Amino acid sequence: MTINMEELKEIIIKELFLEDITPGDIDDNAPLFGGGLGLDSLDAVELVVIIQKHFNVEIKDMDEGRVAFESIKSLASFIEEHQKS
Amino acid sequence: MGLHGSEKNTEDKRIWTSRSIGSYIQHQFFYALIRIGGRRLAYFFLYFILAYYVLMRPSVRRRCYFYLSHRFPGESSLKRIAHGYRLYLNFGMVLIDRAIIGILGNEMMSVSFNQRESLKNLVSEGKGVIFLMAHAGCWQVALSALGYLKTRVNMVIRREEGDIDRHYFEHQSNDTPFNIIDPEGYLGGTIEMINALKNGEIVSIMGDRIFGSLKNTVHVDFMGEKALFPFSAFKVASATGSPIALLFTHKNGADHFVLDLAKVIHVPEGLGRSGEGYLPYVIEFVKILEGYAETHPFQFFNFYDMWRPSP
Repeated sequence: MTINMEELKEIIIKELFLEDITPGDIDDNAPLFGGGLGLDSLDAVELVVIIQKHFNVEIKDMDEGRVAFESIKSLASFIEEHQKS
Repeated sequence: MGLHGSEKNTEDKRIWTSRSIGSYIQHQFFYALIRIGGRRLAYFFLYFILAYYVLMRPSVRRRCYFYLSHRFPGESSLKRIAHGYRLYLNFGMVLIDRAIIGILGNEMMSVSFNQRESLKNLVSEGKGVIFLMAHAGCWQVALSALGYLKTRVNMVIRREEGDIDRHYFEHQSNDTPFNIIDPEGYLGGTIEMINALKNGEIVSIMGDRIFGSLKNTVHVDFMGEKALFPFSAFKVASATGSPIALLFTHKNGADHFVLDLAKVIHVPEGLGRSGEGYLPYVIEFVKILEGYAETHPFQFFNFYDMWRPSP
């Protein structure tokens, strides 16, 4: 299943209570943590739970987290890949 | 805890250190005393060595005054030195106790715990449990007494470069009984915490220490003044649905501790990003911690300025 990146952004904005941010403001390739969206490690807690809730995909360890959370684009790819398997 | 790995800036420096006031040789000396003469011999030397530190090292005295000036406001300088000595003495004894467990075995220290079944039932719900503790009494003794739960424990602790005092399990050659999660690792170890809780395991967090950024902290009244406390544990609980068990210990005999399940907190989901939503739950924890410091004033071991103004 192909992940619609706009929908993914909307889910993240809504579930993480990101105020004053629209999907258009989020660069597909910008890092999710540290810079870019400006998320912090506690947002990662929510994000892991959100990904499981909406896509039934688990981020099992730090190595997977590093890959998945690189950017919105890589998160979408991670979800697609793990939904297949 | 702030759970941050890469978000430090000059405004957000951690405000405490876990480094010991003693040297490597002094620690080894005490470990040797424990092996030779057990607790009594180690305690005996502790009285004299601590007297030197408290009387001769103003920097050591300063570290305990942050707390003592709030717990015993307006006391005389002489009284404060006496209280500082008593506080460090109790702390030193606790460090010796935890080394005794590691070197001589768990059976050297007894722990009373009247809520064994309540805690077991909480763990058996399968949602994972967050043990929220504090630097009060000896949390390591508490954990050493919880083997009956038969559940993996994940401890969120930071070992600083230069830390020379050993945790009790580090005295033993066999594998650590805990999985250690580094709160200053990638994304503050949050992914490991979530997965541990999802597997029904225990994650043990200190509720009175901040790691990394101060962003995930709230100000709460503590002993008459606003102090900084992290809300991270409550956010993890909110996201995972795991209950929080507030666990406190106090020493009430030379070789005896009491463990208390002070409260179980369930944090609802959807409380938002800021600390505001979590504030009532942090307050619950802080009130219990304050009550602990009232009852056991010389078993509260935070030697840094918890009350410093916000950056």
